[in-house]
Amino acid sequence: MKLPLPLKKIQATTRRQFFGQTGLGLGSIALSSLLNQESPGDQTGFRIPAKAKSVIYLHMAGSPSQLELFEHKPALDQLHDTQCPQEYLEGKRFAFIRGVPKMLGSQFKFQRTGESGQWVSDRLPYLSQVIDDLCVIRSVHTEQFNHSPAQLLMQTGNPLLGYPSIGSWATYGLGSENKDLPGFMVLSSGGKTPSAGKSLWGSGFLPTVYQGVQCRTDGGDPILFLSDPEGLNRGERRKTLDAIADLNRYQHEHIGDPETITRIAQYELAFRMQISVPEVMDIGRETQSMLDLYGAKPGHVSAAESAADPRTLYKGDDPTFANNCLLARRLVESGVRFVQLYDWGWDHHGSSPGESIDETLPIKCRQIDRAVAGLITDLKQRGMLDETLVVWGGEFGRTPMMQNNVRKKLVKGFIGRDHHPHAFTMWMAGGGIKPGVYGQTDDIGYYITENAVSVRDLQSTILHQIGIDPKRFNFPYQGLKQRLIGPSDEGKVIRDILS
Amino acid sequence: MQAKRDELRYDNVMKKILMIICFACLPACPLFSEVDFNREIRPILSKHCFACHGLDPSTREAELRLDHFEGATRDLGERFALVPHSPQTSELVARIFSDDPDVQMPPPESGHRLTDAEKKILKQWIAEGGTYAVHWSFVAPTQKPLPDVNHANWPTHPLDYFILKQMEAQNFAPAPPADPARLLRRVSLDLTGLPPTPTAAARFLADPSPQNYEREVDRLLATPAFGEHWARMWLDLARYADTKGYEKDRHRDIWRYRDWVIDSLNQDMPYDQFTTAQLAGDLFPERTDNQILATAFHRNTMTNDEGGTDDEEFRVAAVKDRVDTTLQVWMGLTMGCAKCHSHKYDPISIADYYSFLAFFNQTQDRDTESPFHPTPTRAQAKEIASQQNIVALASKELSARPTDFDAQLSQWKKQFTKTPLWTNLKLMESTSEADVVLKQQDDEIILATGARPERDTWTLTFDLPALPEEKSYRSLRIEHFPQSVAGGDWPDKNVAIREMTVELIHDSASPQKLTLTNPRATFSQRNWEVAKLINGNPSAGWALSPKFKTPQTCILDFSEPILSGKIKITLEQQYGEGLLLARSRFSASPYPTPWLRAELEPNFSEIFWSLTDPQHSEKKETYQTALAKLEALKKAVTRTPVMLELPPAQQRKTKINNRGNFLDLGDEVAPNVLEIFGSFPDDVSRNRLGVARWLMQSENPLTSRVMVNRIWSRIFGVGIVETEEDFGSQGLPPSHPELLDWLAVDFREQGWSIKTLLKTIVSSSTYQQSAAASPDHLSRDPRNRLLARGPRFRLSAETVRDQALAISGLLTNQLGGKSVMPPQPSGVWKTTYSGDDWKNVTGPDRYRRGLYTYLKRTSPYPAMTTFDAGSGEVCQVRRIRTNTPLQALVTLNDTAFLEAAGGLAQRMQQSADDLEKQIVNGFTMTLVRQPTPRETRRLIDLYSSLSIDGEASTALLNASALTKGDPRLVAIANVLLNLDETLMK
Repeated sequence: MKLPLPLKKIQATTRRQFFGQTGLGLGSIALSSLLNQESPGDQTGFRIPAKAKSVIYLHMAGSPSQLELFEHKPALDQLHDTQCPQEYLEGKRFAFIRGVPKMLGSQFKFQRTGESGQWVSDRLPYLSQVIDDLCVIRSVHTEQFNHSPAQLLMQTGNPLLGYPSIGSWATYGLGSENKDLPGFMVLSSGGKTPSAGKSLWGSGFLPTVYQGVQCRTDGGDPILFLSDPEGLNRGERRKTLDAIADLNRYQHEHIGDPETITRIAQYELAFRMQISVPEVMDIGRETQSMLDLYGAKPGHVSAAESAADPRTLYKGDDPTFANNCLLARRLVESGVRFVQLYDWGWDHHGSSPGESIDETLPIKCRQIDRAVAGLITDLKQRGMLDETLVVWGGEFGRTPMMQNNVRKKLVKGFIGRDHHPHAFTMWMAGGGIKPGVYGQTDDIGYYITENAVSVRDLQSTILHQIGIDPKRFNFPYQGLKQRLIGPSDEGKVIRDILS
Repeated sequence: MQAKRDELRYDNVMKKILMIICFACLPACPLFSEVDFNREIRPILSKHCFACHGLDPSTREAELRLDHFEGATRDLGERFALVPHSPQTSELVARIFSDDPDVQMPPPESGHRLTDAEKKILKQWIAEGGTYAVHWSFVAPTQKPLPDVNHANWPTHPLDYFILKQMEAQNFAPAPPADPARLLRRVSLDLTGLPPTPTAAARFLADPSPQNYEREVDRLLATPAFGEHWARMWLDLARYADTKGYEKDRHRDIWRYRDWVIDSLNQDMPYDQFTTAQLAGDLFPERTDNQILATAFHRNTMTNDEGGTDDEEFRVAAVKDRVDTTLQVWMGLTMGCAKCHSHKYDPISIADYYSFLAFFNQTQDRDTESPFHPTPTRAQAKEIASQQNIVALASKELSARPTDFDAQLSQWKKQFTKTPLWTNLKLMESTSEADVVLKQQDDEIILATGARPERDTWTLTFDLPALPEEKSYRSLRIEHFPQSVAGGDWPDKNVAIREMTVELIHDSASPQKLTLTNPRATFSQRNWEVAKLINGNPSAGWALSPKFKTPQTCILDFSEPILSGKIKITLEQQYGEGLLLARSRFSASPYPTPWLRAELEPNFSEIFWSLTDPQHSEKKETYQTALAKLEALKKAVTRTPVMLELPPAQQRKTKINNRGNFLDLGDEVAPNVLEIFGSFPDDVSRNRLGVARWLMQSENPLTSRVMVNRIWSRIFGVGIVETEEDFGSQGLPPSHPELLDWLAVDFREQGWSIKTLLKTIVSSSTYQQSAAASPDHLSRDPRNRLLARGPRFRLSAETVRDQALAISGLLTNQLGGKSVMPPQPSGVWKTTYSGDDWKNVTGPDRYRRGLYTYLKRTSPYPAMTTFDAGSGEVCQVRRIRTNTPLQALVTLNDTAFLEAAGGLAQRMQQSADDLEKQIVNGFTMTLVRQPTPRETRRLIDLYSSLSIDGEASTALLNASALTKGDPRLVAIANVLLNLDETLMK
C-alpha cells in the first residue's frame, strides 16, 4: 500500500521493535531486508507478556504409545487378547487395522511416582523422578491419522505441505536473542528425518530466513557449508572477507544501495557463526558429571544414523538423542529462540522387525528417558526452566487394539498398535506451565472423557507462553490472514495449566 | 450489549426521508466525489469490516453487508449503516467514532482499530454520497492516452511516459543512462539468466549504440538460454518438482514438462496457446503429443503413497490445488478461503468455487501417477520416426513379391497332388500291455477302445509305402484329436507320453533303431516339452494340459531319409491316471523341414516365398532387428503423468465440500466460471477447454494484467501491483495503474508474445537508467517504486549458480533432459522409507544450470533454498528475497562455488602473464565492466597478503577441482564471486 513516508517510517520502527530488544538478532537483520517489503497486513498488537523466552520441542516421530507410557488402564489389561467390541470399529478409519482386531493390554508395568502419585510406566525410571515438574496432558487429539499430515498439522498447523512451522512463526514474531546464531535450530536422531521431511521446519510463505536451520551431529559441518575449504585457514579467510567488505564499500559509495551494507553485515555474521556454532555445538566442553546427567557421549556417531533401515540397529545406550538434549540446552542458553528435536523410530506397528511395542519401545525409552530427565533437571538447576518451555509428544497416539494386518496373534517382537488420533498423551514443562495431570480418557484409553486438548489448543498455548497472542498473530498471504492456529478461532489457550 | 446498541437510534423517520431523496437523486445526478472509493475507502472496509460484514453469509453479523451500496444502505430495522450525504445519521459513522466498547466498531476484541485518518475519510466519503465503485482490477483494462510530460525527450517508448509522469508529479528526475558494460550485464542476466559472453561484451562495448543494443537484445531473446531462464518463473507457478511429495516422496518423471515449458518459451508460443495447451491440451479434437504433455502442468500436484491413506482425500486435495493454482496463476486471485466459506473480501462464494472446481473434477487421476502419456524428446521422436521408416522399408522388402508370384505359387502347390505333403500311415500291427484295443478308421485315425487303464505301453507297426519319383521319407507326424473331432468312447483327458522310440523293420535283418531330431509341437505343457519325448529319459515326456481339448500336433525329423518299409513305434504312457493317446494319427512326409511349417503355421504363400527368395532369411532378420530396435526406442521414452478426461459415463458429480471437508458434502453444483469476470464463451464445450478460452477472452479483466505485472516484477524487482499473488481487494493497488493497463492491452493486441513484451520493457528509457541512487532519491523513494533509477536487486538462486558456472567457464550448455544431481553435502537426504539416493554426479552434468538440479520436495537442494528457491509444494507466485549469513556460507564454501572459483582462477591465469592483468581480466570476466584503479589495487594487495603454501596450497587447489595452478588466484576468484555487485544485477 502506498503509505505516506512518515507513516511508513512509523510502521517500520514499530515492526523493528518486535524483533528482539537486543537489537541484532538474525530476525532483526533479516528485517532490514524485510523492511523493503511493504506488507499489506496489520502486524501490530500481537505481543503479550511472555512467560517463556525459548522453547525446546521434543517430537517423537512415529508417535509413542501412551498406553505403555502414561496411560494406566487396568480395564484394558482385563480385556487383553479379547475381540474388540464393534462400537470401537464402526464408522472408523484406520491406517492398517482390518476386520476385528484383539484388544491389547499394556505390555509394561506402571508404578505410582512423584508426590502427585501419578502412574508412569516402569520403562521411564528417570522421567519418573522429575514427574512433579511436568504437566502431563492425557487428552490430546488430532484430526490426522497418517504420519506426514499429522506431523505437519502438529508443527505447521496444516496437514498439507507448504505452511510455516511453529518455530518459524516464533522467530518471525520474536527474532533471536543471539546475534551470532540462527533463532530456530533443528536436531534430529533415530537415523531418519521424520515422514514429512524438512517441511516440518520450513518457513512456508514466511521469508526463508525464518526456516529452521538443521544442525547435523553426524560428523559433518554442524551447519551446511560452515567450514572454509581445506587449505584456506581462518586468517586467510579473514583477509578475503576484508577484501570483500572493502570492495563492497566502494560499490556502496558508488551505487548507494543499503542492501550492500546489509550484505557486508551478513558476511561478518557468517564469519562469527563459523566460530560460535561449532563452539556451542561442542558438548565436549561440558563436565563429565553433566554428560552423565544426560547420558551423553561427545563425538559419538551412531551406526543407526547412516543405516538404510536404522530400526534394527537401535541400542538402548545410543547417546545420539542425549547429545541432542544437551545441545538443546546449550543452544537455548546461548539465546536460540526455538530448538526442535526430532527422534525417529517411534512407529511401533509390530508388522516388521524393529518396530514393536514389546521389543523396540523399551529400547527407544532407554534412549530418551535419562536424557529428557537430565534436560529437565539441568534446566531447573540453572534456573532456566521457568523461562524455557519444554514440550514432548508424537503426532498422534496408538490404538488400544493390537494391529492385525500382518499377524493376527501375539508374537514376541511383533506386538504393535495402530495410529490413534482420538486420544493421546503429551507433556509440557517449565515456561509458566503448572505441573500436574490434565485431561482424562475412558477406561481403555480410546476416547477423551475430560478436558479435550486439540492441536490448535496446544499451538495457542505455546505461542501464548512465549508472548504471542495466537489469534492476532498473522501473516497476510493468499488473501487470508494466515495464522499458525488456522482460520477459525477454535484453538484456545489451555488456561487451566498455566501457573 | 444489544440493548445498549439499540439506544443509539436516531430519528428514523427523518432518515427514511433522506434515503428516498438520495435514491431518487442518485442515478440522475452523478455525484462528484472527492474521495476515491477504490483507492481510499475499499482498503479500509476490506481490512476492517468485510470479515463480518462481507459476502460470506456464514460469518455475517447483524445481517449487515458493507461490500456493496445496497447492503450498506439497507433498512436494518429502522436503522441504516450508511445514509448517503448524511454522516450524522449514518450509524456507521456513529459507531466508528464511539468510545463505548459495547458500541464501537470494529469491536475492540476483534483486534481491528481504525486510525483517526481512516475515520475521517470514511465520514467524508459518506458526506460526499457514499458511492461504491467496482474494484479496479475487476474492470477490463483500456489504453489511456499517453500523459503529457515536461521532459519530453526522455521517453523512448510509450511506457516511459507513464513512469515519467509520476516522477515529475513527485519532483523526481530520471537517472542518467547506465554505462554500457553494466547495461549489457543487466540485460543479459534479465533475458537469459547468464552474464554476457566475452565475445558479446567486446562486440557491444565497441559500439554501444541504440541500434547495436537492439541487436544484442534480439540475439539474447533468440538464444536457448532465454527459455531456460524464463521457464524457472513458470515452473515456480506450476509447482514443478522431481518427486511426488508427502511421506514417501518418491521419484516422479515429469521433466519432459519442464522441457516443454523451455521449448515453448524459446519458440515464443503466444500466451493464449501456452495457456490452453497446459489447461486443456488433452481436449483438443486433434491433439498432438506435445499438447498432451503440456497438461502435466496440473499433474505437478502431490500424491501420497503413505500406507493407509485415503486416495479420495488426496485426490480432492489435488483438484482443489489445481483450482487455486489456475486462478492464482492466470488471474491473481486467491481462492484459499473460498473452499471452506464464501470469500470475505472478493465476490466469490463457496458455490462459485465448487462450480469452477467441477471443470477440474473430471480427470482420470486419483492420487496415483497414472494416466501417463509417452512423451519422447525431440531427438527421440526423430530417432523413432527414422526407425519407423527403416521398419516400414524392411517390411516392404520382406513382403515384396515378383509379379508372377501367384502363378509360381500355384505351380509349386501342384507337386502336392502328385506326392501329398503328408502320407497317413496304415497300422499293420499293434500291441498293448494293458489289453487296450486299437482300431484304425478309414481316415487313419486310431481309436483306443475297451477299458481305459491307468498306464500302458504300446507298439504300433506302420507301413511306409514307396513314393513316386523315388522320394524318401524325412519326417514323422503325430496328431492328437479330442473326442469332439474324432469321436470314440474315451472321454477327453490329458495325454502324457513319457518316451517314444522308432525302429525300422527289415524283413531279413534285425530292427534298426532310428534317430529322430528337431522335435516341435503346436503346444507343450509347462515342464513337459516335446523334446522330452525322445530324450531317452522315461521320467519326463510330452503332455498337453490344459490344451488337450483341441487337436495338437508334433513333428519329428528322421536323421536319415527312409525310402520305404515298416516302422515300429513304441509309446510309453506310464504316467498314470489314464493319460493315453485316445485318438491319434501317424503320418510321414518326404518334404524338407521348412516346407512342413505349414503344419504349425498354415501359410503356404509365406513358406513358398521363404523357400524361393534366397535373401528371405536375411531380409527377415533385418526386419526383426529393426522392429526390435524400434520397440527399444519406444520403451526408452519417458512416460509423463498427464491430464485425461474421464469418459462421459464415468464423470463425477461435484458437490460443495462443507467447511472444505471432502467427507461433508453439500449441494451438487454444475460446472461454471466466475461470471463476474465474464461469462462462459458461447461456442465451446463446458470443459477445461472452455475455461482456457474464458481466461483468455478480452472481457477477462485480469489475465493480461497479471502476466504483464509478473514479467515487470522479474525485471524491476517489484510488480506494478506489488502483491502479484492478489489482485483482489485485499491486494495492493497498482503504483502506475495506467501503465499496467497500457501494457496489458498491448500484450493482448500484439498477439500475446512474451518476447515482444520483454523487448518493449528492456528497450525503454526507464529500464536503461543507471541504478546508482542519490541520497535524495534514496530517502524519498527507498524502494524505487517511482523507477527514477535502474533496477538493482539480488539474483535468483539459479542465476547465482549459473552465473558462477558461466564466469568460470565450467557451465555445460545442454538444453533439457533428466534432472541432475550436482554435489550436495552427504546425509542431506535421509527421507523416511525412500530407497532413493543422492549420487553426486561427475562429468558434464555436474555443471548444468540450476534449473536442472533435482528437486525433491521434502528435501530440496540446500544451496537453492538458502537463496529463496521454493520446494515445489505449492504454486509460488513470487520469491521473497532475503539476505542472510547462510547465503554467504554457500557462495564462500559450497563445492559448486569453490569449483567455479577454480575455473575462474584458471581462466585468469591463462588470460595474461602478469598478475595485474590477470586480476583485471578476472574482474571483467565476472562483472563485464573494468575495475577502478582502487579496486584493482585492493585485489592486488589481497593477493600479496595471502600465504597459502605447501599442503594448504594442494588442499585448496583440490577443493576447487584443480590439479595445478595458483591457490592465491583461487582465493581472488572466490572473492570476485562473492562481491555484492556479483550477486546483484
